[in-house]
Amino acid sequence: MTVSSTSTAPASARANASRRAPGSRTAGAARTARRKTMRERDRSGYVFVAPFAIATGLFLLWPTIYGLWMSFTNQSLTGTKSSFIGLDNYIEALGDPQVWQTLWHTVVFTLLSVIPLVIVSLGMALLVHTGLPGQWVWRMSFFAPFLLTSAVVASLSSWLFQPEIGLFDVWLSKVNLGPVGWLSDENVAMYSIVLVTVWWTVGFNFLLFLAALQGIPHTLYEAATIDGAGGWRRLFSITIPQLRNITAVIVVLQILGSLKVFDQIYLLTGGGPNGSTRPILEYIYDAGFTNYRLGYASAISYVFFALILVFTLIRLVPTRKES
Amino acid sequence: MMTEHDKGVPTGRRRAGRMPAARRDPAGGTASGPGSPGLSRRRLLQAALVGAGGIALGGSLAGCATEPAAGKGKTSVTVWDLFTGSDGANMQKMVSAVSKANTDLYVDSVTLAWGAPYYTKLAMASSGGGKPPEAAIMHMSRLAGYAPGGLLEPFDLDALAALGVRKEDFTPAVWQKAQFDGQLYALPLDTHPYISFFNPAVAEAAGLTVTDGKLAISGADDFLDAGRAMAKATGDTGVSFGYLRDAASCWRMFWGLYNQTGGGYELTPGRSAQLDEKAATGVFEFLQEMLDGKIAARDQDGGAAEGRFMTKRTGMFFSGEWELPTLQSALPDVSAMPMPTIFGTPATYADSHSFVLPKQSSPDPEKRAATYRVLAGLIKQGLTWAHAGHIPAYQPIVSSDAYQDLTPQKIYAPAAETAVFDPNVWFTGAGSDFQNRIGDSMAETLSGKATPKTAVDRMLSEMNRFLSQPNPA
Repeated sequence: MTVSSTSTAPASARANASRRAPGSRTAGAARTARRKTMRERDRSGYVFVAPFAIATGLFLLWPTIYGLWMSFTNQSLTGTKSSFIGLDNYIEALGDPQVWQTLWHTVVFTLLSVIPLVIVSLGMALLVHTGLPGQWVWRMSFFAPFLLTSAVVASLSSWLFQPEIGLFDVWLSKVNLGPVGWLSDENVAMYSIVLVTVWWTVGFNFLLFLAALQGIPHTLYEAATIDGAGGWRRLFSITIPQLRNITAVIVVLQILGSLKVFDQIYLLTGGGPNGSTRPILEYIYDAGFTNYRLGYASAISYVFFALILVFTLIRLVPTRKES
Repeated sequence: MMTEHDKGVPTGRRRAGRMPAARRDPAGGTASGPGSPGLSRRRLLQAALVGAGGIALGGSLAGCATEPAAGKGKTSVTVWDLFTGSDGANMQKMVSAVSKANTDLYVDSVTLAWGAPYYTKLAMASSGGGKPPEAAIMHMSRLAGYAPGGLLEPFDLDALAALGVRKEDFTPAVWQKAQFDGQLYALPLDTHPYISFFNPAVAEAAGLTVTDGKLAISGADDFLDAGRAMAKATGDTGVSFGYLRDAASCWRMFWGLYNQTGGGYELTPGRSAQLDEKAATGVFEFLQEMLDGKIAARDQDGGAAEGRFMTKRTGMFFSGEWELPTLQSALPDVSAMPMPTIFGTPATYADSHSFVLPKQSSPDPEKRAATYRVLAGLIKQGLTWAHAGHIPAYQPIVSSDAYQDLTPQKIYAPAAETAVFDPNVWFTGAGSDFQNRIGDSMAETLSGKATPKTAVDRMLSEMNRFLSQPNPA
């Protein structure tokens, strides 16, 4: 959902901008007329949103509410009788070192991944936008990995990371380096996962940046060139400031995306070595689906949800003031 | 989000202009033109609906497909298993043999991916909400977590006896393991120990003695010497043991060897774990000595270990006997024996595939009778199963001449007699979080990056964590 809505955001913003150009101040009368017809059509609108609303209700709202209820029970996956146990799950979760340890791993992953995912994608977008020959080749090759599923990415990279016979270790051994415990060394595994994730998902941010770059009016550059500004000057005084808003969007989306990390870690290391890469979502999954404690797993999810909510509020309040 | 893009436009005007502009898109089509864009959208929707309907119809038809396949008058019995590779191929052979012998039955064999998710699915299907299969394969090591929770139904011994399956047909150790509360909850199909494969050619070149098809090795020093000799013979390393990113292998190796030391243990929920820490440390010291880069490669995963053995770069390979068909394809004269006795008492880590009866919400006596016939039939197909490397649990097969002609199966078959299973607590067993966590906590010590004591400490703290959790079943 996030993917589709955000990918259209810059495009429609541009569409708005162009439509608002000369002549967009249509007569007020026409507008009121249109509003009236809009109101008449309001009811048919419900029909159109119904499929989505039903799906959201069934697969998002109801599970969310039901999960909240479960977090106050000792519900088990095995279907044995469950009972209301109040805040016991929350008390256990807050005192469970595994919760904090895995939460920390998620935070570390987020910090390590968000920075390169924003900077590298910006760099790639700028390079492509400067007009390298063969635009579509660059665009495609930077974006293509994003289209792969996590299982494919994990299979490919686990071959590359394979001890002894993996491509990375073979290359390193050619220059008398290594072997590196890509996925088996506690101090390395998280970086390997970040490396894979950056390669895999950087294309999406790249696309957002590229779209935003193409949306910067040419007149600004023309004016600056006439005033004698060089390439670097134009980059730092026009391009970067113009990208401020899209950068904020990308950073927020990326943080939320990185906090959700699960697939690639589950598939590549299963949380190891010695639990050093296990993210909180894997702990929730293990608690609920491998150890059958659905109630406890729900409680941890809600603790995590609350933390993200607090973070989002702290982050959002200043942004709103700015705008 | 959208507003943040166009900073250049004055705010008031932007607000006024934005809303209609955004809404104009969907409404404009039908209102303005002579209907063409609107019509095309409607057509598109119709087409989509027809398409979706078609898919739904196709799906429901496909869903029906299995029942007619059962044929008229046939009783369908669904059996879940987790066998892929040569295990899967052999199980399919057994299923078709049973189907041929029972023309009034249809065996609907469902293979699911092995691992923790298999047991999640089985628990969900058996927990009242789902539609459980009539029978399913379960690792015996998982029984302690399943039977007490009421997810399974016990077997009727008289019904089994009528089909020629009796207590006397199984080894006492396995039969005992299949019991809970004085009733039989699992019908054992096999015992599958974690054994040592060896290449007779390498063993001979290394000057090792082979008696009764087994390498004569006893004690840690003897084993390490043999490893060095084999390393010399191969010009590479002597022994293959893959453990990286393979928590189960770490655990199987450790638990088998720990039981050789005679070190006891106590894992009682609600109390702290008791292990013979000195003995456990000794096991890790031995493993570190073996994984020195000369006897065995230090950082190897299962695939690399197997690859080295098959390409004759090692002479010995620790693995489950289910690898036999794969190894035989590369090394036709590969041999195998129970785990060498390193610490005094012979012991080999093992588990057992067994059939269980998931609890049915509405039991059907006719189906139940059919299920017994299918399972008894499958158990008696143990000779086919033995080709996959497994040691049949049904003893009349093991003592048959046909089985005694199978090498190296008959050499390692005695491993079933010294088999040690997972500790008998609800959270242990194949594919459990327990095996995964404990095995994972050992890997660093095995690769020499942490001390043996670290592994023991970590193991105890993981065990304590599990012991302090409530049993969800």
